[in-house]
Amino acid sequence: MVQSGNRGIIRRRRVLQVGAGIGALQFASPFIIQARGEQSVKIGMIDPLTGAYAAVARSEVEGAKLALDQVNAKGGILGRKVELLVEDSANDVGIGVQKARKLIEGSGANFIFGDVNSAIALAVAQVTAEKKVLHIVTGGHSDAVTGTDCHWNVFRVCNSTVMDGNAIAGVLMSKFGKKWYFLTPDYAYGHSVQAALVKQLEAAGGKWQGSLTPIGTPDYSALLIKAKAYKPDVIVNVMGGGDQVNSIKQYVQFGLAKQIPMGGTLFEYESVAALPDDARSGWWTYEWYWNQPKTPHVADFVAEVKKRTNQVATARHWFGYVGVHTVALVSNQEKTLEAPKLAKALEGFKLPPEVALTPNPAIYRAGDHQLMSDVFVGQAHPKKAGGDPNDFFEVTDVVPGEKAAGPVAGCVLKYPA
Amino acid sequence: MKLRPDIVGISLILVLAPFWLPLVHGYEALGTRVLVLGLAAMSLNFLLGFTGVLSFGHAAYFGLGAYGCGFALKYLAPSTPLAILCGMLLGTIAGALLGALIVRRRGVYFAMVTIAFGQVFYFIAFRWNTLTGGDDGLRGFSRQPIDLGFTTINIADNLTALYYFVLVCFAIAVGLMGLLLRSPFGRTLLAIRENERRARFLGLPIEQHIWLSFVISCAFMSMAGALYALLNNFADPKGLHYTQSGDFVIMAVLGGMRSFWGPLLGAAVFVVLQDSLSSMTTNWQSWIGVMFVIVVLFFPRGLLGFLRRKSQA
Repeated sequence: MVQSGNRGIIRRRRVLQVGAGIGALQFASPFIIQARGEQSVKIGMIDPLTGAYAAVARSEVEGAKLALDQVNAKGGILGRKVELLVEDSANDVGIGVQKARKLIEGSGANFIFGDVNSAIALAVAQVTAEKKVLHIVTGGHSDAVTGTDCHWNVFRVCNSTVMDGNAIAGVLMSKFGKKWYFLTPDYAYGHSVQAALVKQLEAAGGKWQGSLTPIGTPDYSALLIKAKAYKPDVIVNVMGGGDQVNSIKQYVQFGLAKQIPMGGTLFEYESVAALPDDARSGWWTYEWYWNQPKTPHVADFVAEVKKRTNQVATARHWFGYVGVHTVALVSNQEKTLEAPKLAKALEGFKLPPEVALTPNPAIYRAGDHQLMSDVFVGQAHPKKAGGDPNDFFEVTDVVPGEKAAGPVAGCVLKYPA
Repeated sequence: MKLRPDIVGISLILVLAPFWLPLVHGYEALGTRVLVLGLAAMSLNFLLGFTGVLSFGHAAYFGLGAYGCGFALKYLAPSTPLAILCGMLLGTIAGALLGALIVRRRGVYFAMVTIAFGQVFYFIAFRWNTLTGGDDGLRGFSRQPIDLGFTTINIADNLTALYYFVLVCFAIAVGLMGLLLRSPFGRTLLAIRENERRARFLGLPIEQHIWLSFVISCAFMSMAGALYALLNNFADPKGLHYTQSGDFVIMAVLGGMRSFWGPLLGAAVFVVLQDSLSSMTTNWQSWIGVMFVIVVLFFPRGLLGFLRRKSQA
């Protein structure tokens, strides 16, 4: 083959470029080896720091960081420093799975946390189970996580949708009555919450009607008129995110708030805080609430979060906080980082009061690895004159986790041989 | 046959990836992801770069491939090749039917109609809870080892084996695309891209050609989707969403849509940036956006076009 002179020059340049590239690698590699040599315990946290859940995801990370500093101040895990490696899942299952592999295989993470998005939590759980890494689902609410798709290595801090539904159902029936109208988003989450609520209602002999609404509906006037015509004792709103905010705003604007009470399951502090003052209304559940004057240690936690982030502590801060303390406590108790032993030890594990921060004890249930923690039921209200400007909610009932969760459903735990 | 230096170079880089990836802080799952998304971007580019029509709903066929693959593994039989075939069938049939409705549109109308059809599939996947798992995604299936008769390749647990399996699929798909583009059919597509009216005056059946190009593109796209489902052991509705289609277009344009290998480079840059930048800053998407704008403004032929021109200068 005859080469022209011109090509030869390019080739020589290529050789030089490749050589320079290889040379540069020599600088890079020692750092990698050094990083592996450090004996810190690594917690990999995957959360959607960008996208629709960014606000709540950041709260979870802040809570985890707070707990991390506390754990490190007390000597870390097994005397080793603990590191938190935070990765953005960008609300995308593919990226979430990839980040899980990156954390486990690339960085050697000993524990995996996440995700706010249940689909990502479920997909990452498959990876962590395969890799035998203890996995704490901090904030994904789908029933499947500790239900039909539960894994031996997966524990969940936040409630399942059924727990939230069961907790509010009794309160709504006793306070208002047994004739309900549902505003339900037409997808998996909405269906499962409505099913949980209807089951309770029908068991008590109640009746109901409802509308399934597409996600992203901007106008609820027709639905609210239909709801009013049914003359329900209560309108049950199980919408999520922006739809929840919009539907509540319109419910208040149409003056329905003065005629028919509204209730529903989750109404996260981050969402309520974003509402105009007069739209803060209705009966909801919180998975944790900051204003618990009688519960010890809560005030310290709230003050610490305030000091670090200048924000009010929310359930999401608490999820991250509980997650980090859980793995630190159980590892130090068992003196190991082996996931199967830790998972066994976490079954029935009771959180100490300074971690639980709830009136009743919080325990990881052995049957499905769901944390049994109190559900706070109460009424949202506008800022009270002279009251704390961050207090939008009055807790009327605290429903213990076991009562809200009911028996273990659909979960069969299979430990590796 | 002469050995083409670009093919030899790319083959060497890809075949040796499991050996050099750890040196640059990479990992095999990342390499596999680059291959899968690269195949998707190259399939899109078959239509965008070589036929000259922009589909903004190609994620639908990517997602259909993923769901088809998942359904086959979950409900039909535990066989990986069958699953890939089912994924491709689902995506290709949908592409063939819808393509017939779309091909008469041009330009922005073509793009709009493809988005609309794409979103139809997104909402089906999102809302048909009993079949697709809805918002929680389709799970409960896993890739199966491949039985070759004389030996079994364990792609289920061994990620290196999975990488090479995906690489073989990638090579077959890309080889076929390359052959098609060098054939008279491929030349005709280029003629349509350059001047549709003139091609029509030459008596070429334009609509049939665009339709066939659309179907071929969908077939390889759904193959990429099926491989993606195998990589994640999961299929989720977001894989069908138009934002995912936008990512594919970005990869193709970033790398260079007039060159065959451009979209692969684009996908590699996109995935690696996504992986590394997102560990450092939550504003990583703006950086990818800035890079996209710079490429469009200053290097209209994409990164590969820029590199080529530099090496020729």
